[in-house]
Amino acid sequence: MAEKLLEIKNLKQYFNQGKPNEVRAVDDISFDIYKGETLGLVGESGCGKSTTGRTIIRLYDATDGQVIYDGVNVHDKKSKKDLKEFNRKMQMIFQDPYASLNPRMKVLDIIAEGLDIHGLVKNPKERKEKVVELLETVGLNREHADRYAHEFSGGQRQRLGIARALAVNPEFIIADEPISALDVSIQAQVVNLLKELQEEKGLTYLFIAHDLSMVKYISDRIGVMYFGKLVELATAEELYANPMHPYTQSLLSAIPLPDPDYERTRVRKSYDPANHNYQDGEEIAMREVTPGHFVYCSEKELESLRALSSSK
Amino acid sequence: MEKILEVKDLELSFHTFAGEVKAIRGVNFDLLKGETLAIVGESGSGKSVTTKSIMRLLPEHSSEFKNGQILFNGKDLTKLTDREMQKIRGKDISMIFQDPMTSLNPTMPIGKQIMEPILKHRNVSKSVAHKEAVDLLRLVGMPKPEARMKQYPHQFSGGQRQRIVIAIALACNPQVLIADEPTTALDVTIQAQILELMKDLQKKINTSIIFITHDLGVVANVADRVAVMYGGKIVEIGTVDEIFYNPQHPYTWGLLSSMPSLDTAEEKLYAIPGTPPDLLSPPKGDAFALRSDYAMKIDLEEVPPFFKVSDTHYAATWLLHPDAPQVDPPLAIRERMKKYPGSRYYEGTEGGTY
Repeated sequence: MAEKLLEIKNLKQYFNQGKPNEVRAVDDISFDIYKGETLGLVGESGCGKSTTGRTIIRLYDATDGQVIYDGVNVHDKKSKKDLKEFNRKMQMIFQDPYASLNPRMKVLDIIAEGLDIHGLVKNPKERKEKVVELLETVGLNREHADRYAHEFSGGQRQRLGIARALAVNPEFIIADEPISALDVSIQAQVVNLLKELQEEKGLTYLFIAHDLSMVKYISDRIGVMYFGKLVELATAEELYANPMHPYTQSLLSAIPLPDPDYERTRVRKSYDPANHNYQDGEEIAMREVTPGHFVYCSEKELESLRALSSSK
Repeated sequence: MEKILEVKDLELSFHTFAGEVKAIRGVNFDLLKGETLAIVGESGSGKSVTTKSIMRLLPEHSSEFKNGQILFNGKDLTKLTDREMQKIRGKDISMIFQDPMTSLNPTMPIGKQIMEPILKHRNVSKSVAHKEAVDLLRLVGMPKPEARMKQYPHQFSGGQRQRIVIAIALACNPQVLIADEPTTALDVTIQAQILELMKDLQKKINTSIIFITHDLGVVANVADRVAVMYGGKIVEIGTVDEIFYNPQHPYTWGLLSSMPSLDTAEEKLYAIPGTPPDLLSPPKGDAFALRSDYAMKIDLEEVPPFFKVSDTHYAATWLLHPDAPQVDPPLAIRERMKKYPGSRYYEGTEGGTY
């Protein structure tokens, strides 16, 4: 595949470190994101997928590990200037379109805030024109610039969130459950918009979600998280056709599909971490079972998984 | 089969500062004994308002029944006094709410909350109620029920809280259980457990369920029959197979095609264009016409009546009128119809009836 845009190496995010209530929200995960792809990140609530996204963009300072963007470690100490440049390249779309837009600012100012900070526009006229252009890109129009966030529906607000993220010409966008708060019919509109923008502008996405059917649709590759660990990483087709980690299997078997015949025969698998029976001293890590398909497993499990996949 | 609840020509409006919002504009459906009826539709389609009006949970000062009846065991619920309604609510008809975080009282041990409907509606002593509450907790799959009776909601996880809410709803063996998006706030794995639990309990106590959701996957899993709501009306109603494999209304087509399926790789998702109608001034004719690729001139002028597709399947779209031109539904829908004997796209040995 294409070149790496982002390398995440042994990223750890512990809250309340050293105290009895320490939470290992992200516990030593590593993966790469390639230029122009969409990497989906799925898992149950509390598995650390949002924390991963937020740590990558440095909303949290990582406990340990590296986030290397275009060859530079984001979590190194940096001058304000460097950090600002990095912030321009990496943007975020938030889950809740109601909470993530300032209710006391006009749309014009919400979207232009990034432009102002990075000095991308010279005068008010250019500023307005740029905002209008962005509004049109996301399917809104000129009149919307002078309104406040409460005057918009959920789907429109999420479009504003996307316009704001696009304002500074980012290369990489972290979308943290951008469609969870929207209606089914509106979800498809927003997902299509994200896909179109990706093709047009060559964007790279980290798409965090718990809706597995939507994730499969938008992602090139998908990572599955469980309790702060990445347990499986593969291309979208491969992951759904051939899930290897028992947790992934259980997660996939739990999704109801809009097909009554399928639903009548669907059998749900449950996952019990104790079933692994890991021995003391066994090293458990992400291992490549088939090309491009990584599973969090021990050496022993790796052998049996390889045997299983070659027999298919 | 025996009808347990009949909703007839229900019309309901909210009076707001902006004017009269016609939230429900003529809704008709029956609920049969022991069945699960799913009501689907987007936010603002009136699905929650319909069920809240059955429970009479809407604010009296701003909502108004304009027309219609809700018949439960021969009694019209819209005409009952508050006091009479209190005897039904939580006993004969009970409800599971969407958000288990807010529908439990945070300052009261959960045991007491489960005992509340038992003590209120049935003439039993506290010790009997306590014992029944423990049994209910066991029934909904709570480990160590005796010990957990004294705990508070914050000591439980989201899935466990929803189990407690279900236990409260089932405390008096209701004849009708209304579940308003009971799994929307939960993860898929927990959702699967709760759905299994509900189906299991339904078999045990033979209650009828009205299940509100916008997740069509969940509908396919739980429902016997499905009603599709749009703009304050039911636009299509039928058995689960009829709705999923032989849908007739363009809105149902749009809804079904906008969900990505796990096995096919579509290039682009079908997105229903536009936004739901503003019920302050509902559109003339078919409310969906403005967003529909299949709208005809009459759709903008006259409200379509229900056309019969089969004994159990009705759809309100002019496309079913004998004079209407025959149109091809979207590709994804035609694929679905291939599986259904009786549809004109059926690819099987029996041959279609059209």
